[in-house]
Amino acid sequence: MPTEKKLELHIPSILGFERVAMDFAGAVAKMMHFPEERIEDLKTAVVEACLNAIEHGNKLNSTTKVGITLTLHDSKLQVAVTDQGSGVGAVDTPSIDTKIEGETSPRGWGIFLIKNLVDEVQFETAPEGGNVVRMVIHLDN
Amino acid sequence: MSNGNEPSVRVKNDVSIIDVKGDVTSNTAGPIEDAYKQVTVAGSKKILLCFARDGYINSGGIAVLIGIVSESRKRGQVVRMTGLSAHFQKIFDMVGLTKYARIFPSEDAALLDF
Repeated sequence: MPTEKKLELHIPSILGFERVAMDFAGAVAKMMHFPEERIEDLKTAVVEACLNAIEHGNKLNSTTKVGITLTLHDSKLQVAVTDQGSGVGAVDTPSIDTKIEGETSPRGWGIFLIKNLVDEVQFETAPEGGNVVRMVIHLDN
Repeated sequence: MSNGNEPSVRVKNDVSIIDVKGDVTSNTAGPIEDAYKQVTVAGSKKILLCFARDGYINSGGIAVLIGIVSESRKRGQVVRMTGLSAHFQKIFDMVGLTKYARIFPSEDAALLDF
């Protein structure tokens, strides 16, 4: 019977603490024997999800928290990142050309990186409020 | 008090080399941008960004580098990069930054290409 295990971490909404979540997810992915490249992909995706939660979801309010929940399945690892804010709305796909030309802000790469680094991603609003980003990497990918 | 992780500048031939030690994030933007301004004021047209292979880079840091590359184009400067891990070479390629600032496997290889 397939089994799943859950691990949870909460970090304050202070820039820099996303690295704790990064190392947390990286350590679990390593324990699950993901290839090094996929571990690095996941670490960056977790960083970006946490940064979005800290900056945009929780508005850098240090009294709020970002939750990181890892669910370990036999053949995949799911990472859910939650914040306590309101929805951030649709985000345009960033263009390096318009950013280099100065026509748009050089920022705004977080969601793009997440989508391109994990196998599955969902952006949701939690029933009790707050944003949830669910990311999955598969062992056989 | 100086932070051992702050960028430093050196010159080889006519290339200004910025050793970007430590993190590349929105929090470390100031010292990195200051190093770029320093070499620009000195009149440099060739700039090599040398990263620490085990350094931490996030999207805030990528935005800082995009800003520098954007500014360099207005000033007729050429920017190259080296020292990045395979992962961040992939990330920089993914966002398209390598279209405007090429990555080289070593400092020597980058210097030869200028």
